[in-house]
Amino acid sequence: MNELTLKTENLDKIYKLGGRQVRALSDVTLDIQKGDFLSIMGPSGSGKSTLLNILGCLDTPTHGTVFLDGVNVTKVPEKNLYKIRKNKIGFVFQTFNLMPWLNAIENVELPMEGTKLSKDERQKRAHELLEMVGLSKRIEHRPHKLSAGEQQRVAIARALANNPAIVLADEPTGNLDAKTKYEIVRLLSKLNAEQGTTIIMVTHDSQVASRAGRMLSLNDGKLLKKEKKGSHVMNLICSHCGKEIRADDTFCPGCGKRI
Amino acid sequence: MKKLGVFTRALRNVSRRKIRALLVIIALSLSVAILTSIPTGIMANQKAAEQLSANYDSYLENMQTQITTASTLLEVSLSPGFTAAGFGGRGRPEGGFGGGGFMGFMSSESFFNETAVSNITTIDGVAAVIPVLEKSEGTNETRSTQFGDFVFLRPEYTIVGVPLDNSILSNYPVLPSDIIEGRTLGEGDNDAVLLSTNNTEYFGVGVNDQVNILGKDFTVVGVYSTTVTQEMNHLYMSLPEAQTITETEGNISRIDVYAENETAVDSVYANITAMYPEFYVNTAQSRLESLTTMAENQGSLLDNAEAGLVETQSVAYMEIGIAVVATSLIVLFTMLYTVRERTQEIGVLKAIGFSNTNIMSQFMLEGMILSIMAGLIGVVIGTVGAPIITQLLLTGFAANTGPQANTGSQMAFRGRQIGIPGLTVQSTIATPTVELLLIVFAGAILLGVLGSLYPSWRASKTSPMEALRRE
Repeated sequence: MNELTLKTENLDKIYKLGGRQVRALSDVTLDIQKGDFLSIMGPSGSGKSTLLNILGCLDTPTHGTVFLDGVNVTKVPEKNLYKIRKNKIGFVFQTFNLMPWLNAIENVELPMEGTKLSKDERQKRAHELLEMVGLSKRIEHRPHKLSAGEQQRVAIARALANNPAIVLADEPTGNLDAKTKYEIVRLLSKLNAEQGTTIIMVTHDSQVASRAGRMLSLNDGKLLKKEKKGSHVMNLICSHCGKEIRADDTFCPGCGKRI
Repeated sequence: MKKLGVFTRALRNVSRRKIRALLVIIALSLSVAILTSIPTGIMANQKAAEQLSANYDSYLENMQTQITTASTLLEVSLSPGFTAAGFGGRGRPEGGFGGGGFMGFMSSESFFNETAVSNITTIDGVAAVIPVLEKSEGTNETRSTQFGDFVFLRPEYTIVGVPLDNSILSNYPVLPSDIIEGRTLGEGDNDAVLLSTNNTEYFGVGVNDQVNILGKDFTVVGVYSTTVTQEMNHLYMSLPEAQTITETEGNISRIDVYAENETAVDSVYANITAMYPEFYVNTAQSRLESLTTMAENQGSLLDNAEAGLVETQSVAYMEIGIAVVATSLIVLFTMLYTVRERTQEIGVLKAIGFSNTNIMSQFMLEGMILSIMAGLIGVVIGTVGAPIITQLLLTGFAANTGPQANTGSQMAFRGRQIGIPGLTVQSTIATPTVELLLIVFAGAILLGVLGSLYPSWRASKTSPMEALRRE
């Protein structure tokens, strides 16, 4: 499992904001191997999202190179980047970003539109993916009929639709309550462990971050030298009193309130 | 389970915003309806104008032939030829051009004593003298014209009394020649009448039927047909009977004098005017002159009418232009708004691997779906409402010929009423042709494409990052 999936060299990103230059990323060099589960932490404005956008081929660096699955994507013309986004990358967003007028299975089918798969094959694959994320019974529900956690599961299934080399998750638990947060992180680490999916997750939640195998920190656009090893363990705490709880608890054993 | 495709998604996107889609479709379909109906109206009017012009030309030609063939005829009456003894079919004056249209405030019918007949017979060079009584019967009617209101007799039929004398009937065109049923009148016919096709409709009788005219019963011996407008309501009978029923015993309204040859015409004319200075006498020469004058007058009226039509058409084309621009703008702004509203969605679609082309075609498709639906509805409204919408948009543009078609046609050009006597225009019903409907429908789709082009292009150029940031 030492195959290199993603590699960045000396990434710089400079924005121009009202004539003033803002350095969002500075000399970021990163190696990510196939099967890695990586979390990137950092305060807001530290450049996490910029890095993720560049890794996801939504943005281009000012300097430096990004190799994805052996391809130097910084050399790929902008009009062809969609192919890389379609085939090599899966996105999971903080706000899920499902199409509200499509049901769960249709949302998962969406990225497969325009691929070689027939409509039947697309439907079959979407069905399998929804089963994998534990939503096989809710495939015909539209997003507004699903809970936040369920919506994020659909989004994860959608991210996996084209069997991407890498899944990029931007604050995937940012809009979820403690219990759902736990479920989603567990799902991600399960996918990583069982399917070998490479996951890069941006978060400012240290609890969530610690569930990843590798933990990186960004500050002022610079990658901190010290890389931590994740614990793969995430402690659940009550959002009311801060006492540790278990995943199957409905009421907090400490304060007795509904979790 | 329904399978998802680009088209399904586009349809669903359109139906997501039902009220908006509905409003757009209503606005678009009205534009399309205008596009359907205005050209239809223009075409109908052009057809009417062409027909009018063609009718007018053939009418003039016809008149000229008739005048030349009746070169030895002198028409004697108490009214100037232009109104009373104008141009009739086969050289017989039949009430002139003023059949109730522009010229005619219905010429008054003047009668004079038939003793003039025997006096004129004595003139040298006269071959035949034919007394004629012509009297119109009908109802009084008030008609508004641009010159004010006029009360005039709206003739239902005109009684024509002629001498039923074989020496006259066999040599001179006194009676109509185109008998379509029965026979013509002949010497010795009593209580007999020859009706026109219009008369048979008016009286509701046919050949061999009895018909009561001004209190006296007649037998219909025959029915004739004519294309000369002024003669369409004429019914023929013997002169004495005509005088009796119209209570004009001893009087006639016209004398047709035939000279022995063309060279004798001038001397006969001089003798008659010397004998009866109060009479108007028309020769072929004077009739030709009148015809020329009339042709000039009517020709300029027709030119005016055509100029009016051209003017109206340019207004109509402007209205079409406005409809086209409005349609494109409606699509343009709706799609721009839609694109703006769905920026985030565009960002997500790009993030999950949709190409610029995918996004552009998706929005184009949505614009086209709207246009196709609006096009279909608009074409239907346009077809059904073409006459109504045409009238609304182009007031007085429609050519119309009413029940009075036989007394002179009227063509209204933007409220300008012009009646050219002796001409009829078949009423034109504004019905769009299949070609026009197809063109308009294709045009609606084209406008949809044009209107969606820029918004779709903008959508495709949206930066996914910028789009996703808008949360």
